[in-house]
Amino acid sequence: MDLAVDLSGITKRFGAFTANSGIDLAVRRGEIHAIIGENGAGKTTLMNILFGLLQPDEGTIAIGGKTMIVDSPAVAIGQGLGMVHQHFKLVPSLTVADNIFLGMEIRRNGLIDRAAQEERTRSLSEKFRLRVDPRERVAGLSVGMEQRIEILKVLARNARTIILDEPTAVLTPQESRDLFRTLRSFVDDGMTVIFISHHLEEVMAVSDTVTVLRDGRVVATKPKSALSKRELVRLMVGRDVSFDRRPRGQTNGKVALEVEDLWVRDDRQLAALKSVSLSVRAGEIVGIAGVAGNGQTELAEVLSGLRPASHGRARLHGQDILDLPPAAIRAGGLAHVPGDRMVRGVDRTASLSANMLIGRHRRAPFARAGVIDWSAVHGEMWTLIRRFDIRARGPEDPARSLSGGNIQKVVLAREFTAGGDVLLIDQPTRGVDIGAQEGIHDEIMRQRAEGRAILLISTQLDELKALADRILIMFDGRIMGAVDGAAMDEDAIGLMMAGVDPADMTEA
Amino acid sequence: MRTLLATGWARTLAGQLFAIAIALALGSVIILLIDESPVRVFVTLMRGAFGDSEKIAGTLLQTTPILICGIAACIGLRGGMFNVGIEGQLFLGGFAAAWVGFAFSLPPVLHVLAAMALAVVAGAAWVAIPAFFRVRFGTNEVVSTILANYIATLLTSYFTIFLFKRPGGWSETPPILESAYLPELFSFSRLNLGLLIGLALAIVTAAFFRWTSAGYAVTMVGSAPKFAEYGGIDVRRVGFGVLLVSGAVGGLAGGVETLGVHHRFMEGFAPGFGFDGLIAALLANGSPVGTIFTALFFGALRAGSLLLEVDTTASREIITVIQALIILAVSADLIMRRRGDRTGERRWKF
Repeated sequence: MDLAVDLSGITKRFGAFTANSGIDLAVRRGEIHAIIGENGAGKTTLMNILFGLLQPDEGTIAIGGKTMIVDSPAVAIGQGLGMVHQHFKLVPSLTVADNIFLGMEIRRNGLIDRAAQEERTRSLSEKFRLRVDPRERVAGLSVGMEQRIEILKVLARNARTIILDEPTAVLTPQESRDLFRTLRSFVDDGMTVIFISHHLEEVMAVSDTVTVLRDGRVVATKPKSALSKRELVRLMVGRDVSFDRRPRGQTNGKVALEVEDLWVRDDRQLAALKSVSLSVRAGEIVGIAGVAGNGQTELAEVLSGLRPASHGRARLHGQDILDLPPAAIRAGGLAHVPGDRMVRGVDRTASLSANMLIGRHRRAPFARAGVIDWSAVHGEMWTLIRRFDIRARGPEDPARSLSGGNIQKVVLAREFTAGGDVLLIDQPTRGVDIGAQEGIHDEIMRQRAEGRAILLISTQLDELKALADRILIMFDGRIMGAVDGAAMDEDAIGLMMAGVDPADMTEA
Repeated sequence: MRTLLATGWARTLAGQLFAIAIALALGSVIILLIDESPVRVFVTLMRGAFGDSEKIAGTLLQTTPILICGIAACIGLRGGMFNVGIEGQLFLGGFAAAWVGFAFSLPPVLHVLAAMALAVVAGAAWVAIPAFFRVRFGTNEVVSTILANYIATLLTSYFTIFLFKRPGGWSETPPILESAYLPELFSFSRLNLGLLIGLALAIVTAAFFRWTSAGYAVTMVGSAPKFAEYGGIDVRRVGFGVLLVSGAVGGLAGGVETLGVHHRFMEGFAPGFGFDGLIAALLANGSPVGTIFTALFFGALRAGSLLLEVDTTASREIITVIQALIILAVSADLIMRRRGDRTGERRWKF
């Protein structure tokens, strides 16, 4: 068998912690090989070992059939390996071509030959169908474009095997699709792609072979065709995780949140919401489906008072909220789990207790006469840590010492216990491990059973399918249509997400 | 600035001591370049600052305005506002207090309170202009408050020279009435109640940030404004308030200096105290209690330098050089720490 990369028996320890334990990985030439596992399963460590950024404690590395010691990235690059890191390493003030040739500048008479670099960039860009403008500055380019430059950087160094670490984490769905098409064309040209991910859908969509890591060990290497999504989850998490629709009781609560003909502008002053109307009843989960960037963020912001509306009405328990500041809307009973949790949802530098306190820092039981009772705050935070199974040493840990999933649990814990009876939840499980997703879904269902009205915004259809009573589909700032959560027609939803009017579907 | 307040105090202390050590080492090199012995310079500085009780009182006298200005800076830093205009607020506060002191006749305690009150109002009013532009239009307060300094010093000069000049005197106002004097603490020094005001202010400020709802709100606005906004805190109002209080304390520093030390307003009466205070606050990592010690350090440098020209060949300006080196070292430390934060390598409990 023609192997591009062959790792055997790789073990890497950091102190008492074993990040990789006896890992075997054989990547055939000309395939897309996905390495999947939850956060902390050892994927990135393994790739850093292959690329020479870390040295294994045990095991051997063979590249292109030759066993060798890879003690620096230069060795790996020399063997035709290229790595596109999760966090891009570009210089914003330089042009695209300058970035691509950074460190290997084409020189003439001791000076950088910009024209030659631009020409080379242009030819690479044409050859691999990755369109870029060589003279454009990197500052201000989209994330998808930056990634394209990173890939070109790797190709300019003559890589034949390309490693991508969580490449879609920062991309929009469209950009992800473009990337997959590019990767497919690479392997068609005989190159090899190693693709690190914890996203099931994209692994199922793009890979030929899948290696699953769990707790630093390989639990399976199989061709994708031999795997189902359910099986893949079981391998990753180590137990069955249900994405089935959650059983639920009937509800017929009062309307708690009502939106009528709402228009909102985005930051560029373009219409982000166009005549949106919806209502949510107590004890009901209304889902908002749609590709990211179709007005969902603006909807959440305007309802929580963080963005002005240009026109329309929104009522919380019959009270108009569009002109109210965030504090008044909170006091009126709205809790908000924001989509960009690292910026809006937490102060990463502050303690968990300080993060839990926001919005409640003026009232009993946590404050009296303007003085905060920190022991009461810490006590409550301890309770939440236990109830929501937050992995932290204690209430005084800074938020940034927690993993993304645990930070999200802190946000959920705060918002679900803030006393609001209308919950506005934006992307509850984005970036959260699959195992932890289940717990978050349990908690959302518990909130429903307690009679809360829930507006659930998610880009993941599976999540809406499992949780929502009704699903509204957003496209370009409009609600395209609604479907019943129990009997949802995925094709219809998909078409509406792409902007097809349901009225046209019946005709067709 | 954001990471400034979010690190453990032990790490902070170690970092700042390291910064001071580096600055002193580099200062030594410069002292060697002028053919003087660093040891002699530092020993002279120490003797000048702490040699006897009069010298200690002199150090504390210099420490007082730096401490109060430092508290003003701490308040701003905590709320994410970089008030570089404390110098100007100090000048206006100093002039306002002097004016109440010489233009009105009031009973003793009341006279002091009235003069101090106007000093506080003057400082707050002076920063209100940059503060308004900051919260209304997003104008960078660093630039606007620096510029306001020039206007403040020249404006007070104008008042002093053209409107209230003491007949026959230098560029100074008439002396204030004795009823407006801050009481002195010892017979042998001009050291006065101002020091205790500064110490009390440091402790009150620390307690405010540690235990009050308003202090919590200010801290959140300073460290994560979008989070604070989301949590229902009025970010603009808090920002405006933070600058106003910071300016008020800057004005108070001027009042203390006028009523406690000079007993009149003189053109250029308190050079650099506002900036020294800002540096003291930065060196203390925005901690009011820490600022007590850093202000003492800078006060000792200032007081000690008086003896420097008498006993050594080094000029007094060497302490300015050392201060500048400390600023460089502290900035370098902040940059390193921020980089550590970005890559997530260092995590500090606080």
